[in-house]
Parts: sequence; structure tokens; C-alpha cells
Amino acid sequence: MSEFYTRYGDGSPTRVSADEMRRDLEVGTNDAADRGKIPALSQSELDHLFDICTRPDKTVSVERGNEVVVTFDAGTLKLPIRAGVPMDRSSAILTHERAFCSDTMELAHVDYSYKQLKAIIHEETAAMEHVQLNTIIPIFYGAMPNLGLYTKPDGPIENWSELLPLAKISEAKAAQEEAMEHAIKDMVYVASRMYEAGADGINFDTVGASGDADVLASLKAVEILKNKYPDIAIEFGMSGEFILGMHGDLFFDGKRLAGLYPHQQVKVAEKAGATIFGAVINTNSSRTFAWNLARTVTFVKACTEAASIPVHVNVGMGVGAIPNSNTPAVDAVSRADKALVEIGKADGL
Amino acid sequence: MSIEDIFLEARETILQCDQERAVRLAERALAEGYDPVEVISSGFSYGIRQMGELFGRGEVFLPQLIMSSEVMKAAVQILDAAIIQGETTQYKGTIVIATVEGDVHDIGKGIVVSLLKTQGIQVYDMGRDVSTVKIIEKALEVKADIIGTSALLTTTLMSQKKLEDELRKNGLRDQFKTMVGGAPATQRWADRIGADAYAEDAAEAVTKALLLLNRT
Repeated sequence: MSEFYTRYGDGSPTRVSADEMRRDLEVGTNDAADRGKIPALSQSELDHLFDICTRPDKTVSVERGNEVVVTFDAGTLKLPIRAGVPMDRSSAILTHERAFCSDTMELAHVDYSYKQLKAIIHEETAAMEHVQLNTIIPIFYGAMPNLGLYTKPDGPIENWSELLPLAKISEAKAAQEEAMEHAIKDMVYVASRMYEAGADGINFDTVGASGDADVLASLKAVEILKNKYPDIAIEFGMSGEFILGMHGDLFFDGKRLAGLYPHQQVKVAEKAGATIFGAVINTNSSRTFAWNLARTVTFVKACTEAASIPVHVNVGMGVGAIPNSNTPAVDAVSRADKALVEIGKADGL
Repeated sequence: MSIEDIFLEARETILQCDQERAVRLAERALAEGYDPVEVISSGFSYGIRQMGELFGRGEVFLPQLIMSSEVMKAAVQILDAAIIQGETTQYKGTIVIATVEGDVHDIGKGIVVSLLKTQGIQVYDMGRDVSTVKIIEKALEVKADIIGTSALLTTTLMSQKKLEDELRKNGLRDQFKTMVGGAPATQRWADRIGADAYAEDAAEAVTKALLLLNRT
């Protein structure tokens, strides 16, 4: 019986039979359908996924004409920081534009949080102006809302992660609400300065990393920015497949934010004024690539069907079916990309 | 009230975070002569496991999860008192649990601790950023059956291997069962370092701990 080379979600290689692969695809799509209360993939879509997963080629690609654009998060942290290539941020951007043929790029600081950036905003605006003089592709400026940074000892507010285990629920909720006010102010300030310095767009990255209050603060910041600059492009990238209810009683446009899955998250992002939505589906490191891929594509398909704005799926380490390893394996990355575009109908990655 | 009705209502009180009703039910179960251990394990504990699963699916939120564990604590306190009074206190086993050295993440471990306690396992929670030496010392001191370690970072994951190595080096490996967990840990990691069990989440940690104790 023939076996196919594949991987687990932690990147370790394995071989599985056709039956095992088909079973994992089916269980994966059913898990997404069950959790998100969305349709599972059809048999023909599962067959297509099986074909993508079992092709003997080391890498695969979309058919000519089906290419999609790419946007980045933590853009200038990838080559100089994660890969350890000794280059400055502007060289990293030029490398992306002229060697990698990236469609867009993101200028980002190593202190990748809006709160930290306000103190060095003059340096960031100068960097943006310099980069814009040398590049043609659209350049985003991005950072994370990181609501947790407003808690003691980093900030002025009590830490809800410490209050909650003590069952101080109302104090924990009040602390999150207070942090939101600070975060909104910082996000609007930094984004405004960077937009006025020439950024083609602003990226709110890893939204929801501190739970539903983190999401609400970001949505409100987007709303303010959109009113202030009607033409501003804003990418709204999530941190997880459902919004973690650290507060639980926060609403936007009449919708409770906690527990929203990608096809619901995109609607609140749209309503706030976001122009690109970054869907995130978590990779389970114990499951196979096939299981993770079927699950991811199921969530993404529901999200793109619901969306009125472009959906750029996060396909990096540990999300979008990509194995959780520092340098994701190209066999998995290219297969995930192809499946997300051809079956999930992703507008970008 | 039949024992099945008690179980059902106990689960409901947890899912609805209804402390007053849970306390009344615990008192009623005792008054009607039901075994408090059974009421905890098949009633309240079952409810808390359901709550954990719903939380993992984004269907209930952290404040509710915390409130439900408070409800659980209040009910168990009443039932525990009766167990002690009746001198039937019998832990299913003892576990020493810690977040490994260099790692300060312990929200998930805290949930594991709460669930293990509800299953009649004696838990020594050493907190976070705990050295391998201290973990082993504590396990020897309390004659633990299991040592459980949590690591959230790929960089601190190696401490779980260090624990296995130290136990083997000191001839203590057969004295304890070991369990590992945390975001970067996997079953394959557990196999590679020689740990006895891996748990993906709090609910599985309970199942695996009971398996290691042969108390399922």
C-alpha cells in the first residue's frame, strides 16, 4: 500500500496511507463545521484537498491566473530579527520588493506594540518617509494592540490575569475597560502619525491576543481612524480562530465579541471600517497537516463567503495549517497556500 | 431525589454558575445519605469538565469559567467536610505540579490544578518559574505519585527533558510518573524525552492523571 509524505502540526515528518489521509481530512473539516457552526467541505472539495496533499512534488502552486497578493505582519522583523540576517529595516523592505517580488510590505519596529511606539514615533515617521522614497510597492505600518502592556508593572492598571483567578470578576472587567481607553488613544495617535508620514496603510496585527477587550479597543480605533481619514487602508489581523472572552460582556454593533469565529469576526471588522481582514486559524501541533488543512480551509471558506472586504489568511508559523516550527517547511506552506486560494477562495495571504 | 437527578442538577449548577443552588444541592445530597465522593466526581466534576470543553470552543468565557470553579469550590467544601467527618478521605493519588524554570505562564496550569483537585487528587502546586531541583525535592518530600510540568515556550520546553534526565541520573525515575503539557509540548515530545504522559488541555490532564494512577 502506498504511503504519502506529510507532517504533523509541530513540523515532524511522517508517512500516512491514503485512507488515513482521507480520514484526517474528513475529521478536520467536521471539527471546524462543528465549532464554527458552518458547512463542512463537500466531497469534491475534500478530493481536491487530497490531491493537493498527496502530489509527489516537493512544492505546489496555484494555476496561472489564480495568483493572489500578499501582505505581511511583523514585516521587517522577519529577515533582520527572526532570520538573523544583518540588514536594516529599509534593506529588508527593498529585498522584499526587488528580490522576493512582494506585493506589499510592512514597516515594523522590534517593540511591536502601539503603546511602546508612541515614545519613538519621531524615529518611526522618519523611517517611513525614507522607505517611501525608495520603494514602489505599498508600505504598511503595523503593530499589535497588546492590551496586556497597560497592566502593572508595565502600565498603570491592575492585571486582570491576576484578578480573575482570585474570582475578582468585576474588578477584572473594569481593569480591561480602563485599559481599552489608553489603548485606543495610543493606536489612533501612532496610526495617525504614520499615515501622515506616508504609510499606505496601517496594520492592526494579532488583534485579540489579550482577549475580547483587545478586539473592541482595536475596532474602536479603526472606527476613529476611518472617520478621520476616509481613504486610509487598514488591515485587521486576528490572533486566534475565536475571540477569547477574557471579559465576556463586550459588544460591537450589537454583537458579543467573545466567541466569534472568523466568518463572524470579519463582519465586525468590516463594520468598523477595516479594508482587509486577516483570518487566523490555529494549527494543532498534535494533529496531521491534512487534519489542520481541512479545518483551516473550512473556516476560511465560510469567512470569504461572508466577507465584503478582501480576506488575507495568516499562513505563518503555527497558524493557517502551517506547522509550528521556526522555519515552516515549504512542502506544507505551498500546499496550504494553494488550498486556501483554490478552495478557501482567499483574496490574499 | 434519585442519585441521577442529583448528578444532573449538580452539573447544571456548574454550567449556570449558580452557587446558591449548588450549596443547597450538596447539603440535600448529604441529608439524603448519598456518597459525597460520588456526588463530586459524577456530578460537580462532570459539570466542570463540560465547562472546560465549552471554554475550549469559545462558547463560554473566562469569567464564567472562574465563577463555575468558585461554585464548585463552595459545593465541594460542604461535601469534603462530610468526607473528612466520615473518615473516608482517600485521595486517588498525589501530584506535584509546576511551570518550569524560566517560564512564568501559569493560567493553563491553574485550570489543570483546579480540575485535578475536583477529581480527588491531592495537588501540590509549586507555581511558576520553578527549578528542576526544587520540583524533585518537593516530589520526594510529599511522596508524589506524579510530577506534572508545564512549559509555554519552546525555549523552556527543554526543562521538561532536564527533569527526566535528572530523575534518571539520580535513580529516581521509577519512583514517579511524569506528565508534560503546555503549548509547544506534544505526544511526540513526551515520547522523545521519556515522559509517561502528555495532555493537550486541562480535561485531558485529568484523564491522563487518573490513567497513570489506575483510577479511571
